[in-house]
Amino acid sequence: MDIWLFYLFALVIVGASLGVIGQRSPMHSVLFLILSFGALAALYVQLDSPFAAVAQIIIYAGAIMVLFLFVVMLLNASHEDDDPGARAPVPVGVKVSGCLLALLLLVELTWALTRVGRPAVEKDAASADSVSSVHEIGRVLFTDYAFAFEVTSVLILVAMIGAVVLAKRKV
Amino acid sequence: MLTDFQAIMPILIVTLSAIVTMVAEAFQPKQERAPLAGFGVIGLIGAAAASVLLWGYDKTGFGVVRADNFSLFVNLIVIAVGLLTILFSPQVIERERIPPGEYYALTLFAVVGMMLMAAATDLLLLFLALEVLSLAVYVLTGIRRAQFQSAEAAFKYFLLGAFSSAFFLYGVALTYAIVGSTRLEEIAATLAVSDQAPDGLVLVAMGLLAVGFAFKISAVPFHMWAPDAYQGAPTLVTGFMATGVKAAAFAAFLRVFLSSFHTLHDSWAPMLWLVAVATMILGTVVGVVQANAKRMLAYSSVAHAGYLLVGLIVGTRVGEAATLFYLAAYAVSTLGAFAVVAVLATEEHPHDRVQDFAGLWESRPGLAALMTVFLLSLGGFPPLAGFVGKWYIFSAAIDAGYVWLAIVGVLTSVISVFFYLRIVVMMYMSDERALVPTPAITRSAVAGLTLALVAVFYLGLLPTHAIELALTSVQGMF
Amino acid sequence: MLALIPLFPFIGFIINALIGRRLSKATSGGLACLAMLVSFGVAVVAFWRLLGLPAEARVIDETLFTWIASGRFQAPLTFRLDPLAGLMCLVVTGIGFLIHVYSTAYMHEETDHEYARYFSYLNLFAAFMLVLVLGANLLVMFIGWEGVGLCSYLLIGYWFDKQSATDAGKKAFVVNRVGDMAFIVGMCLAFASFGTLDFRAIAAAVAALPPEVTWGVLSTITLLFFIGATGKSAQIPLYIWLPDAMEGPTPVSALIHAATMVTAGVYMIGRNAVLYSHAPLTMEVVAVIGVATALLAGTIGLAQNDIKRVLAYSTVSQLGYMFLAMGVGAFAAGIFHLYTHAFFKALMFLGSGAVIHALHGEQDMRKMGGLRRALPITYWTFLIGALAIAGVPGLSGFFSKDEILFRTFASGHSVLWVLGTATALLTAVYMFRLIYLTFHGKPRYEGAYEGAQEAHRAHDRAAHAQGTHNHGGGGVLHDAPMAMAIPLVLLAIGSVVAGYVGVPHALGGSNRIETFLEPSFSPPAHTAPAVAGTHAEPGVALSGEGAHAEADAHGATHADTALELTLMVTSVAIALMGIGIATLVWLKRPHVAAALAARVPWMHRLLLNKWYVDELYDATIVQPIKNSSTVGLWKGVDVGVIDGAVNGTGWLVRGSAAGLRLAQSGSVRIYAAAFFVGTVLVIAFYLVR
Repeated sequence: MDIWLFYLFALVIVGASLGVIGQRSPMHSVLFLILSFGALAALYVQLDSPFAAVAQIIIYAGAIMVLFLFVVMLLNASHEDDDPGARAPVPVGVKVSGCLLALLLLVELTWALTRVGRPAVEKDAASADSVSSVHEIGRVLFTDYAFAFEVTSVLILVAMIGAVVLAKRKV
Repeated sequence: MLTDFQAIMPILIVTLSAIVTMVAEAFQPKQERAPLAGFGVIGLIGAAAASVLLWGYDKTGFGVVRADNFSLFVNLIVIAVGLLTILFSPQVIERERIPPGEYYALTLFAVVGMMLMAAATDLLLLFLALEVLSLAVYVLTGIRRAQFQSAEAAFKYFLLGAFSSAFFLYGVALTYAIVGSTRLEEIAATLAVSDQAPDGLVLVAMGLLAVGFAFKISAVPFHMWAPDAYQGAPTLVTGFMATGVKAAAFAAFLRVFLSSFHTLHDSWAPMLWLVAVATMILGTVVGVVQANAKRMLAYSSVAHAGYLLVGLIVGTRVGEAATLFYLAAYAVSTLGAFAVVAVLATEEHPHDRVQDFAGLWESRPGLAALMTVFLLSLGGFPPLAGFVGKWYIFSAAIDAGYVWLAIVGVLTSVISVFFYLRIVVMMYMSDERALVPTPAITRSAVAGLTLALVAVFYLGLLPTHAIELALTSVQGMF
Repeated sequence: MLALIPLFPFIGFIINALIGRRLSKATSGGLACLAMLVSFGVAVVAFWRLLGLPAEARVIDETLFTWIASGRFQAPLTFRLDPLAGLMCLVVTGIGFLIHVYSTAYMHEETDHEYARYFSYLNLFAAFMLVLVLGANLLVMFIGWEGVGLCSYLLIGYWFDKQSATDAGKKAFVVNRVGDMAFIVGMCLAFASFGTLDFRAIAAAVAALPPEVTWGVLSTITLLFFIGATGKSAQIPLYIWLPDAMEGPTPVSALIHAATMVTAGVYMIGRNAVLYSHAPLTMEVVAVIGVATALLAGTIGLAQNDIKRVLAYSTVSQLGYMFLAMGVGAFAAGIFHLYTHAFFKALMFLGSGAVIHALHGEQDMRKMGGLRRALPITYWTFLIGALAIAGVPGLSGFFSKDEILFRTFASGHSVLWVLGTATALLTAVYMFRLIYLTFHGKPRYEGAYEGAQEAHRAHDRAAHAQGTHNHGGGGVLHDAPMAMAIPLVLLAIGSVVAGYVGVPHALGGSNRIETFLEPSFSPPAHTAPAVAGTHAEPGVALSGEGAHAEADAHGATHADTALELTLMVTSVAIALMGIGIATLVWLKRPHVAAALAARVPWMHRLLLNKWYVDELYDATIVQPIKNSSTVGLWKGVDVGVIDGAVNGTGWLVRGSAAGLRLAQSGSVRIYAAAFFVGTVLVIAFYLVR
């Protein structure tokens, strides 16, 4: 049962992701992205990490994507086709070779994954706990990874400055 | 707790100075643009002092930051890069009408990212540091929004950078999947005990990490963004990212591949061997035909990434020390050369084509002489810094049995002199003098150029001390 | 003290480079000359001190500071004066000074700051050359090695508005880089093998080894060094740059491309004599390349019409002699020839410069002739030089060339001896061809003028009337002014007497120069004590085959004396024969030359076009590289992708929208694709292994 659910959601993710890049309308792309994120959240639930699932829904599917939608609507960018540069047709050869490359990478990764010599992560009770319980996550985040957490704040600060620099009208 | 903070002291100081710079800009009266650069200078000097004081103590902070001599040495390099960049900046900021507060703050944050990259002993933190650095540099690249090349360069850099970050992160995830940790020492310990041949997943993880680093150091075939980004970015930013980013990425590359994956040296060395050879050859050969000085220097920096890779591939203590020394020598020479290009530009004339240098000897003998020294150093003329660095790297390679690698290196560096000398020849031999008006140069830029010049000669004539430092700094690293 | 020798020219360079443009010509030229003179003075004093030491201990080391030192790698910035370096120092500073003086007059038509630029380059060159000579280890030598190459490049292209000059500069540069590359690799290999770069330490280390009879590391190192030397010293296959280098000012040709820099390769082999002695296989290569170059360049010299090119090929040819000497283990003889050659070749170049100066830039010998009367000083000094190089007894060239040929024969290389002797014949022929075409016969120069030449007055008056004569001033050909004449005369004296330091035993001399130089070619005394007064030279003793060149160790044996005398007589005869042939063909019956050229046109064409070697290189090396780098890499990788994208071909951006819109060009896709391919390949590489 579990495995079938996994494949179902995985398929949804792949399909939705293809939808994101395949759509001409930005609005549709964003909606597909939300779908993809939702399915990803389902996978997290399956992997016994409800916290990650919730965070995924609230932050990505909720906050960020809604913001995206607003931006798309405000900019009134209806179709990519309006962009003269993007309308130029992509030659078939390029498409084919791109697909082949992606396929090749897929084959490589699959092959590598099938050749794993030993069980990946040793599963013990504690580690299983640590991903499932919010309490554990909080503890790890603010002890072991406290410094990384702080660095993230610097990262966000830089991103903010960057956004301001690039976006503000008058220099 | 005290140790923790001591270990991150240099990083902390620079972070603070970046924040102060930003805040100060917000509160400074209009039309007054005095001390913004000063905060950066003070912060960087403070960080340098902290690094010097920490030398030899090998403190660890928060379990993930290591202030060992290795990271401190890299700190000194990137601090020097940041300091020189800031010294050259006022004139350029004025000319290009770049917002000064943001510019300095981003530069300082980039330095923070660089220092963190060198000090991180956790792949996750390494990734964060990489992103801090990258974001800051992306924005710096595109900071002249009005200019279309600048925006284009930033966009290309950003897009491909995001691409490479994804691969890098995937590598981190796979590593975690195998080892169950992102700490470098634990990865090393786990990989060391496994007696059988490394399985496929480890190799894939390693490959993906290598791809991420190779992008940052602009090694072939992950270099294609470099010429465009280097040409489009404001010249000083180009100099900054050609030296600082490369130094930081190499520091992390060295640390990860020679500590965590050192046991797998036989597996990754051949691949990097190919990459290094391709990088040296392509960077040199394509560099020869460039007509734009910035683009030429971009290919030169690609080629130099190849030489630096030689030191990594050799994998001996001497090779690592040689890489560090080379980074320092390369940084001052390249930054100096870019600075000369930058200070010569005027608003309407970027002064970056090779023929723009015609007759510089007549109009600006001092700058022409400086440029000559920097370019000759890059080309590896004795007794300048670049020569000692190359000599040190190639003799380390031959010592370790990588004779062919050294031969390719020598061959390409011999060819590369050709394009450096093209500019030199332009400056001395052409008599289309004073065609291009050149601007006045600020005192801080003169100070910066002088510092770079002194460094080139110091590292060239009295390299012993720096080499000793580099050697000690790699001793305790792994 | 030693450091002062290169320091003074360097100071001269700094001053002229920085403030030269504000100085008058007299000041900047005088300054440069003064720097050389002081340097020469210091060199003489240092040399004197060296002579004061006992023969085996003639080494003065002076370490300025430790340049690079890390672990076992030590490279102090050390200068070392030993007999070999001392001799070279005197040549470089002495002849250098004379050429500086000559230049003050020769370059007088340049503008003030061009003048200063010229002298700053010249002084910088001298400084680097002295560093090269005085360097006590390979790395210090390499500083000079690269530096002189740079200066030579700058000076060849000095007249940058002349396309041929910049091209020649480029060619010299590229060819030299090939050699330099081999040199660097050799240096790395030497360090990896011996753990040191100090010449004496290497010599000591090598002396403990047996000669390398089969191919091995010593042979590889020496061969790499030799390739470096072929670049710098213009030997096959890298000689092609030197004739083109004549595009530079003539004094430069005299100083750099005849007397000093081009001999650096010979000097370097002399410096590493012990190393080379232990690599007999490389020695054979050196000797064969040397003699082949000598012969080839000699034949080309026969057919050239540009006066400086003849001299250039003659230089290549004489350098070949020096390498021949080195290759047969007669190091002292090679250096001896280097030393005498510096005098007479500098003399002839300066003489040709005086001719060119008088004729306002004419270099084609077909447009000269009859200058003997108009330029008496130039003529007589030039004649002395030609006699010296041809090997006429009593002049310096005779002693050194003979020594080389004798050593070659004595070491059992009779074939090489025959070729060397043939080259001697060629040398005499083309040199006197040059003399006859330039100084004798009827004047053929434009507006050939009256003055001293009664016979042509009518003709010249006509020419004058037609306005073809273009001399400024009085219209009389000027002989060299004082500043040019004095160096000519001094060099002429040098060309005569310089050889007397090496009068061979066979002629009752004591070959003092060889005895003097010998310690430089032996390993340091403590490893192989030299027996005083003999040529106890392990270096030569290895020449695996045939007789030892040290044969005349304790005063020549009777047989050797006889042999040497026989060879000497032969070569004198050869030299006189060459002069005779030249006299016959170009002086007495000028039509013979033309007839000969017409009889075997292919031969003439072949020689005139320098055996088509340039064309061969162009077709096999230059063009393919050019094509692959412009078409293949630059066009394919850079232009094709980037400019193609920007120009908007195919599916790439065509839009003109500003900013980000345009930045979303197809080229990013290609970059990303390359990235992707790279990643796939990297992972595939791991997985397949």
